[in-house]
Amino acid sequence: MTETAQPPLDPRLLSILVCPVTKGPLIYDREAGELISRQAGLAFPIRDGIPIMLPDEARAIDA
Amino acid sequence: MRAMNDPVIFDRAAVRRHRDRAAPLVHDVAPVLQEVADRLLDRLDDTTYRFAAALDIGGRGVVAPQLRARGIDSVVSCDLSPKMARVNGGTVLCADEEWLPFGPGTFDLVVANLSLHWVNDLPGALAQIRHALKPDGLFLASMPVLPTLADLRRALTEAECALTGGAAPRVSPFPDIRDCASLLQRAGFALPVADGETLTLAYRSAMGLLRDLRAAGETNALRLRSRQTPWPDLFPAALAGLMPGADDTPLSVPLRVAVMTGWAPAETQPQPLQPGAFSISLEDAIKKIE
Repeated sequence: MTETAQPPLDPRLLSILVCPVTKGPLIYDREAGELISRQAGLAFPIRDGIPIMLPDEARAIDA
Repeated sequence: MRAMNDPVIFDRAAVRRHRDRAAPLVHDVAPVLQEVADRLLDRLDDTTYRFAAALDIGGRGVVAPQLRARGIDSVVSCDLSPKMARVNGGTVLCADEEWLPFGPGTFDLVVANLSLHWVNDLPGALAQIRHALKPDGLFLASMPVLPTLADLRRALTEAECALTGGAAPRVSPFPDIRDCASLLQRAGFALPVADGETLTLAYRSAMGLLRDLRAAGETNALRLRSRQTPWPDLFPAALAGLMPGADDTPLSVPLRVAVMTGWAPAETQPQPLQPGAFSISLEDAIKKIE
């Protein structure tokens, strides 16, 4: 599968978003197109430039 | 994550699906949403405060453009459905009102136009909104309250009882307007106010009402809704029962809305005195009036 370029995340959003579960900081993984909450162990997807900040849609990761 | 005894009334996945499905249709009901938004945003004219950072929750494309038109620099829109979020244009994200992804003091204005009545944990959502506001930030919300859609609820229940001898809930249970101000107060908002406004919609056919509810993403998302395909006779019977007698009299549907305002607490706001801390005696005050 070829990598499709993700549209960049709105910098305004990057500056205000926190993890919806822990309200802790998020790390922006530009390549994967995800916002990662280490505290919650969740990666929130960014689809077509829109961050999907739903706990149900997040991918569980090893903290 | 949710305590077991918390009431779960709404199926949030269904709310999301309904809003996804409604995103391409929502412009059909924009005039109704716009009318409520106008009455809600009128409240901004009551204050001289200049807002700089606003959050629009579930505005369905009618709130964010108006906020930008009022000169607010930064307007962020969120919706439970990513497709509906995109309708807003500008800076958008997908978020659940019960899990808001914003830190404390991010906004000085939060607007929720007809978007909080499918939330299970409303006190929790309101508390999160208050935390996302800066001190002295303003929260504006409109919410359908009773007796909105009472006639539709009654017509469906009566028709279903007549057909099957029982009835499943098909219309959302709306709060009473008296609950709204106390909800704001319980969530810690200062100076909470809830005013009632009524819009009366006229439909040539009852089917038009159902079409509009679908276009707004407002179809039944009760968790305990019947998952069975409704009896084929149910909706025709209920809708016939809904129409007024005379042939060309339109169906009148009152939409009762609570317009709610509350402020994030700040020390600069008027504060109640401690009991006994007043400087004028009640007796003197009454004498003055007499």
